[in-house]
Amino acid sequence: MSWELLSASKKSKGVTLDPRTKLIVLITICFLVLGGEGGGLALVTKPMLTAIPILLLFCFGKKKAALVCVIIYVTCYLGEQFVVPVTTGATNFVLLFLCGFISRVLPGLAMGYYTVRTTTVSELVAAMQRIHLTEKLIIPLSVMFRFFPTVGEEYHAIGDAMRMRGIRFGGKKTVKMLEYRFVPMMICSIKIGEELSAAALTRGLGAPVRRTNICKIGFKALDIVLITFCAVLFILTILRKIGLLGVLA
Amino acid sequence: MNTKTARIGAKDLVTVGIYSAIYLVITCALAFLSLIPIMYPLMTIICPIVGGIPFMLFLTKTKKFGMITIMGILMGLVMLLTGMGYWSLITGVIAGLLADLVWKAGRYSSAKMSIVTNGVFSLWYIGNYMAVFVTREAYFQHAVESYGQAWADTIQTYLPNWMAVVLLIVCFISGLVGGLIGKSLLKKHFKKAGIA
Amino acid sequence: MIEFQNVSFAYENGDHAGQLHNINFTIPDGQVVLLCGESGCGKTTLTRLLNGLIPSYYEGRLEGSVFIDGKSIVEKPLYEIASLTGSVFQNPRSQFFAVDTNSELAFGCENLGIAENEIIARMKRTVAELHIETLMDRSIFALSGGEKQKIACASAAMMEPEVFVLDEPSSNLDIKSIRELAEVITLWKNQGKTILIAEHRLSYLMDLADRVLYMKDGQIENDFSIADFRKIPPDEISRMGLRSLYPVTFHNHHTFTAKNKDEIILSDFRFAYAESLVLKVEHLVIPQGSIVGVIGNNGAGKTTFARCLCGLEKKASGAITIKGKTYLRKKRLNQCYMVMQNPSHQLFTEDVLDEVLLSMDGDEEENRPIAEKILSDLNLTPFTERHPMSLSGGQQQRVAVASAVASGREIMIFDEPTSGLDFRHMEEVANVLRKLQKAGKTLFIITHDPELIERCCDYFIFIENGEVSWHGGWNLQNKQQLELFFGPQRKRR
Repeated sequence: MSWELLSASKKSKGVTLDPRTKLIVLITICFLVLGGEGGGLALVTKPMLTAIPILLLFCFGKKKAALVCVIIYVTCYLGEQFVVPVTTGATNFVLLFLCGFISRVLPGLAMGYYTVRTTTVSELVAAMQRIHLTEKLIIPLSVMFRFFPTVGEEYHAIGDAMRMRGIRFGGKKTVKMLEYRFVPMMICSIKIGEELSAAALTRGLGAPVRRTNICKIGFKALDIVLITFCAVLFILTILRKIGLLGVLA
Repeated sequence: MNTKTARIGAKDLVTVGIYSAIYLVITCALAFLSLIPIMYPLMTIICPIVGGIPFMLFLTKTKKFGMITIMGILMGLVMLLTGMGYWSLITGVIAGLLADLVWKAGRYSSAKMSIVTNGVFSLWYIGNYMAVFVTREAYFQHAVESYGQAWADTIQTYLPNWMAVVLLIVCFISGLVGGLIGKSLLKKHFKKAGIA
Repeated sequence: MIEFQNVSFAYENGDHAGQLHNINFTIPDGQVVLLCGESGCGKTTLTRLLNGLIPSYYEGRLEGSVFIDGKSIVEKPLYEIASLTGSVFQNPRSQFFAVDTNSELAFGCENLGIAENEIIARMKRTVAELHIETLMDRSIFALSGGEKQKIACASAAMMEPEVFVLDEPSSNLDIKSIRELAEVITLWKNQGKTILIAEHRLSYLMDLADRVLYMKDGQIENDFSIADFRKIPPDEISRMGLRSLYPVTFHNHHTFTAKNKDEIILSDFRFAYAESLVLKVEHLVIPQGSIVGVIGNNGAGKTTFARCLCGLEKKASGAITIKGKTYLRKKRLNQCYMVMQNPSHQLFTEDVLDEVLLSMDGDEEENRPIAEKILSDLNLTPFTERHPMSLSGGQQQRVAVASAVASGREIMIFDEPTSGLDFRHMEEVANVLRKLQKAGKTLFIITHDPELIERCCDYFIFIENGEVSWHGGWNLQNKQQLELFFGPQRKRR
């Protein structure tokens, strides 16, 4: 597995979106798909919001991931439509719940995957600065994303060392596995972290001036389309909720 | 930087980032188990316990109010970015703030309070389960429409509302256990190794 | 101009190593000063005073004052010193803050709020000066140690400081990268910057430095001009605990005489990464019981070779035959042991004795005397009850060796065991290696350290583009090849 979240190479192929747009879509999906109500309007909005991340993945060149999402979604949809009605009792419940749950969670995860795969840390930081998030969040957030791969590297190095010394799952050592695996990893990571912190401070981190940022981000046509789309969905949902859209519901 | 001032400085912010990364990697290394549906609720037990190890170490570096809250927000932001929903952002802020208060009450050094702090901080995990409960509500409504009241009652028995409270308590208790384990490892390894 | 006036410093934790006592010196503008001395003499502490990490980051008791261009920097916050002093540190992995190279270069300037156009302009200039065009727009995690170090230099240069402080910048670099580092320092020197370099490896700086400060026990014991320093005879340099001033000429005094004529045969090692073959060793015969130097540039496949040898690469093919018995990958995990470059990765328990016992099967009480014997052979007895992570790098390395000996491994692989070590510690490592050889082990040493090779290797494997381009023992031809490889020749652009 790779721990390199948010480290997409800059020359990403195909569609590029502003990180803020990605965030807006993510939040929309969270509200309207993950937590939204069923029936009525949702019968239209949910498939549409599911299609967005899949299309984005497809355009970004993650065709395989997009395909996997489509297969899972279709399976769940078909399951909900045809298998659920013919089952009863506990099986019925589990199936309905599972299909419903997966089809709800999937769009969010797909959008999340798209976001972390196509955004660089610098872009995210630039976006955070644009929305005037405090440095108290931006600094730790960027350190954290910078540090994921490092912790991952340490994790693997220690895994190698354990294999070499024949420390494996099983036997009386099973309980100690956590200790052997995590303690050296933490000690090594923290030492690197201390050096990192010192190096960053010698380069002016924390100066009481407004930071600049050379990373160029901005809204393009596609961003505006997506944001408008999300806004419309939100408005429709609210209207429906307060009963102004009785016809559609 | 200057440990004497009460304001959070650049060094503290870097520290929060580093420990958040370690915390997330360690818990995520296990969270892959949650792809097995049965394991999903069990994560409320496993993650706070395992997360207790880096968190207790983090507390030894935490001498200022707000650092835990920032960590909680970071957890929420990562969950948001990876598509797990925005509830963790809310629970992260609340749990982080409460944990900060507890740790402050422990004067940033009390051994007992540090264990409680981990318990309180672990409450943020409930954010990952809010989706289940919120969708359950929607299901409820949907089920009544199409399958009738009997079916809705079935759901109620399988996934009652009070499960949320149970999960919350489970998180807290697992957090205490994790805190204890973290504390003992702190004594056994980190102090002797000279980093705590 | 840099000025130290009556500076004394002691770290808060009471550590004796790294203290400074009454330091006084001045460095005029444009001078390149080499700071040398044994580990723990206070070199690093001194550099930390100059870039402000002491007293702002590392706390302790500080007396005296430090001035850059007449301004005292002791009370200044770090972000103000940031534009005065540019720093390059030892570990390439831990000194970058961004994930991609462009953001890394911009990072310091962004912190100081320098305007975007200005940053872009500086970046263009720096990239051209340091010839790092090919490194731009890349993930730093995908760069080699040498490339990372170049990015670190470039990032420091972006802030356009007048003073550069380098703390053992070559420790983790191969010969080629060290030459490139020397080019960067030459550039700065020609730009009239004032440069202070704390370093163990001296030979690459002999044509660069103007002056040498020799430190001992927290004091400046000697202040040489470079001409005087170069006149010091080699024996005296060794006595001072310093590494060789000149590229090593191999006269090798010890020739390996195998007690038996057993051989280790490596056959059909292949490993492909991302669909391209990165290692291909068809047939290689090595005299059993020798110390094999594994040599080549970074990225040539040395580490991959070592990992395949140990059986760590799951997808690699290949077999080893020792004393007529053939071991495939999984079996090799129990036959070979790699002492990693950072041995803290392979130490797991809470004290040194436990660490050794962990490697032994059977009853703990019966094993204890054997373990204690192993520890005393490696001069580790005083540390028996210490936590392995609290030891120094060299001591950790020996603990790792002890655990390998305890588990009865026949083949041991060392990944750059002397990187960043001073003369005395390097000799210590060489002694341990020879001791292991006497005990009948076969050792593979991945190294860029000619002095270590000179002291203990008796067989060589030279790896180039994933293949063994030559191998063999000490003979005239191989000696010349080694000298050519480690020699002072300049890389042509």
